[in-house]
Amino acid sequence: MTLQLEVANLQKRFGGLVAVNDVNFSLQAGEIVGLLGPNGSGKTTVLNMISGALQADGGRVVFRGTELTRQKPHRIAQHGVARTFQLVRPLPTLTVAENVLVSFAFGRYRHWGREAEKLVEEKLEFVGLEGRGRERVGNLTYIDQKRMELARALASEPSLLLLDEWLAGLNPSELKTGIELVQHLQGAGITILLVEHIMEAVRALCTRCIVMNAGQIIASGPSAEVLQQKEVILAYLGDDHA
Amino acid sequence: MPTYASLALVAVAVSTLAAAPFYLSDYGVGLLIGMSGYVTLATAWALFSGPTRYVSLATVAFFGIGAYTVAVFSETLPYPLVLLLAAAIGGTVAAVVGLSTLRLAGVYFVIFTFGLAELVRQTVTWWEVNITGTLGRYIFLPFEGRHIYWQLLALLTVTMLIGWLIGRSRIGLALKAIGDDEAVAAHAGIDVTRTKLVLFVLSATIITLVGAIQAPRWTYIEPSIVFNPTVSFLTLIMALLGGPMRLWGPMVGAVPLFLLFEWLSANFPNHFSIFLGLLFILIVFVMPNGVLAKLEGIRKGAAQ
Amino acid sequence: MFEHIVNGLVLGGTYALIAMGLTMQYGIARIMNLAFGDTIIVACFGTYLLVSAFALSPLLALLILVPGAFVFSYAVFLALMQPLVARAPNREALEVDSILVTFGLLFVIQGILLVIFGGAYTSYSYLNVGVNVLGTTVSANRLLAFVMALVFGGALMFVLFRTRWGMMLRAVELAPESAPLYGIDVDRVARYAFAVGGALAASGGVVVSMYQTFTATAGVVFTMKALIVVILGGKGSLIGALIAGIVLGIVETLVAAYIDPGLTLAATYAVFLAILLFRPTGLFGSAA
Repeated sequence: MTLQLEVANLQKRFGGLVAVNDVNFSLQAGEIVGLLGPNGSGKTTVLNMISGALQADGGRVVFRGTELTRQKPHRIAQHGVARTFQLVRPLPTLTVAENVLVSFAFGRYRHWGREAEKLVEEKLEFVGLEGRGRERVGNLTYIDQKRMELARALASEPSLLLLDEWLAGLNPSELKTGIELVQHLQGAGITILLVEHIMEAVRALCTRCIVMNAGQIIASGPSAEVLQQKEVILAYLGDDHA
Repeated sequence: MPTYASLALVAVAVSTLAAAPFYLSDYGVGLLIGMSGYVTLATAWALFSGPTRYVSLATVAFFGIGAYTVAVFSETLPYPLVLLLAAAIGGTVAAVVGLSTLRLAGVYFVIFTFGLAELVRQTVTWWEVNITGTLGRYIFLPFEGRHIYWQLLALLTVTMLIGWLIGRSRIGLALKAIGDDEAVAAHAGIDVTRTKLVLFVLSATIITLVGAIQAPRWTYIEPSIVFNPTVSFLTLIMALLGGPMRLWGPMVGAVPLFLLFEWLSANFPNHFSIFLGLLFILIVFVMPNGVLAKLEGIRKGAAQ
Repeated sequence: MFEHIVNGLVLGGTYALIAMGLTMQYGIARIMNLAFGDTIIVACFGTYLLVSAFALSPLLALLILVPGAFVFSYAVFLALMQPLVARAPNREALEVDSILVTFGLLFVIQGILLVIFGGAYTSYSYLNVGVNVLGTTVSANRLLAFVMALVFGGALMFVLFRTRWGMMLRAVELAPESAPLYGIDVDRVARYAFAVGGALAASGGVVVSMYQTFTATAGVVFTMKALIVVILGGKGSLIGALIAGIVLGIVETLVAAYIDPGLTLAATYAVFLAILLFRPTGLFGSAA
């Protein structure tokens, strides 16, 4: 196994509030790792620091030997780290195909023209939106917007994908499809860091889990073990489930 | 892809416009100069401000820089070199302004460009009074109205061509993405700041050239003439009326508004700015995306 | 030197007062009002008219102009801003729309002033006598202007920090999304904040007119300076606006005295650029 991502001593404060406090973890190539914890525990903040949306106050993010700390988001995307957003963020004036094309045009390998159009069509097909490239994103259903956002993230041809509650809000059959899609990605060799609340998805997908609470990592290890730890259940689901 | 028919149409239109001075009176040529000037200004303004939605009020700062450069150097340098110099100065000022303000929220940019023209005007005035010891300058260039008009027409054609190319290029896609959601654009790999800067400099350079080319029309210039803030406002309102998101939008807005303003300033010079203000408010309320979008909306509505 | 510092303080006091008005409109009502400076200029001309035509004291002019500006701003918000707020899909769209509409308003106001008063520099003489302050002569009108700026600023601070209504305003400023959860009518608060901002602008205009010349087209520069002070002080910080206003006032006065009066705007710009480049959150603001 080769090291993909190393996060060391990551820190973030908002005013007086310490949102992320001394977070350390690493991801191996091809892993799917769950990042769990209650709302406000700092998961999305960690994701934002890895992807460059936020500047860390301290610590380092190293991706395949390259220091990403303090790099701008577009540089990080070009290095091969892609993300989705907690609430879907389509580019509303662009078509579905153009949304995906943006990442091909400016992502890791910068495709353009006929070649890019073909790649866009392939990605749309992969996420289940074949033939719908000309539609306005506003006309898509919620699940289809989520598919589109995944296609857009994949179109920058990342080796690390950060999924921020990408499976949230799906109905049971959509969830099944979603889980299969993510499994396909792993098959394609993409490393995935998954922020997720849906336990079914975490169990099905993640080999390892990292649990955060109040800005700190409180547990990590193989999913089966971590999910059984009482402390985690307490922190995550509240007293009722302990 | 453009069909040969549409290419031919453009060629015919440009040559008809180019031939117009031979059939028109001096007054007519004067109108054409003003009109082509404003169409170019509005189109250049929309190149940057349309897709990014950064409202620039600095048009006259660059326009005036162009005119002043011609006034200062027209006797010492050959004309083409003066134009190049004007473009270089305008572009450099735009780069400095852009670098310092484009990273920030749109509102800072608006305010900064809002005051930029005033700053440049005061600084030039100060310089002329204290350093050169004159306030006004004379421009003696052997141009007739139609020469100026042809230059403007050429610049307009090039500007439209640039706009058309941008619309089909990577940078055009980047601009649209930035206008929709900067954060998403950045995470998709777009260098947001650089893209905005490149477009701002390009747009400002064209605007500077409009000022430079029009300068000989005045013969005598001073800061209060060439840095007249009304130029920025007219440009903005023309682009807004037509629709700044479309290539042809600014032209559609500029032609009728130019004629209207011409008539108003001839007949109601004192009430001009009241009227201008009311028109602004009206446009924002009635057709926030411009005439072209409105027409398209009506057509779609009728088709359904 | 001391004389310039005192004059700078006077000017700075006025700037702080004006900037507080802009903070009310931009920070709480969330409207970037480009016609803000024109409210100031209208108050300048209003005072001029009342002083020269009706021989009123500028202090009495306050009693007419400040409530007048309150009502006017309230009406502007109701008629022009509320519909924009209602239709805007997000903050950015509202920002662009409100900038354009207030821009139009700026022209209407400026145009009316030009028709009535023309474009010349205007002033009137009031309390134009020297007063000895710690060994330096300062004109009495400036001194009075400074005292008035302090009184208005102080009154606003009191209202914001010591009354229930002020607490509501601050709640909307800090957390517009969650304020409704506490039963605060955000739209209503925004209307009043916008109106109070306009009233503060008018009081600033009366104060300015006592010791400076003004023209119908000077509104733009006041809007700029108010915004620079707001940014310099940190958006939403009233203490910051106070200190920043005074800093700007002193910088301008010193530049005018020792370098060249024609370069004060350039100096203002230099300050603005320096903040934007090195401390975009302002001297006293926290990160957004």
